Amino acid sequence: MTTASEPLTPPAPRHDLLLGAALLAVAGVYVRALMFTPIEARQGAAQKILYVHATSAIVGLYIAFGLMAVASLLYLWLKDAKLDRVAESSAEVGLCYTTVVLATGPLWGKTIWGAWWTWDARLTSTLFLWFIIVAYLLLRSAVEEPGRRARYAAVLGILASLLVPFIHLSVYLFRTLHPMPIVLKPSAPSMPSEMQLTFFSALLAFILLFAALLRARYRMATLRDLAAHREQEHG
Amino acid sequence: MTPDNGGFATAAYIITAIVYLAYALSIKLRERRIREHLARLDASARPPSSRPTGA
Repeated sequence: MTTASEPLTPPAPRHDLLLGAALLAVAGVYVRALMFTPIEARQGAAQKILYVHATSAIVGLYIAFGLMAVASLLYLWLKDAKLDRVAESSAEVGLCYTTVVLATGPLWGKTIWGAWWTWDARLTSTLFLWFIIVAYLLLRSAVEEPGRRARYAAVLGILASLLVPFIHLSVYLFRTLHPMPIVLKPSAPSMPSEMQLTFFSALLAFILLFAALLRARYRMATLRDLAAHREQEHG
Repeated sequence: MTPDNGGFATAAYIITAIVYLAYALSIKLRERRIREHLARLDASARPPSSRPTGA
């Protein structure tokens, strides 16, 4: 039983050091990418969009939605509410990353293809996945009973993640305007070493940012569930 | 000849920063709102004797 002297709610952290470090790392990548990385001769400065576009795609699609799928699978097996919170948090952070991918891609496309958007397999399937994740989050807010909500969300999360390999392979399976992968491919990355260094620094910074956002979002979900539990206790 | 399209890169970097910062801020604001709600719940659950009396 809780007494008045015991802390009822976990205290708010005074500073989120991980988030601060991640934002600093991303700022460092901005400086390196925009000021100290050579401009690609044929594409011009617009090629630098790669360092935020492709890295956000790797973190959002492969890491965030991959984690969502693994946590959802484990939830269906173990029925642990923590796993449901990991899946939910990872889906929302992944949606943020995919939003960046979908917002920066057209800016690059306009300079290279002359069009903001084209309904090719890679772009359309990524947009489709974005809508499915929005539906996943809406489903979560629509179902009140926690067990049912977690179960339905886990199934939808697993189904949504099946799109990720399709998105990756779509450039091989269909004739698309979107270029083939230059990093996530069986052979070595096809980029000069200076650009590779910027690319992998950006990837690390965005992975660190993902970890910080995921941790903050998970903490928020834990507090929200605690509040729901207290509300039930108090009637 | 290298095309002059630096504006597109700048726009992409600005949009990226706005999306990530806005999302981080939204998490912080939602967490603060939940903490305030929890504090109200805790205050209403506390027995009257442990509540601070006025000056």
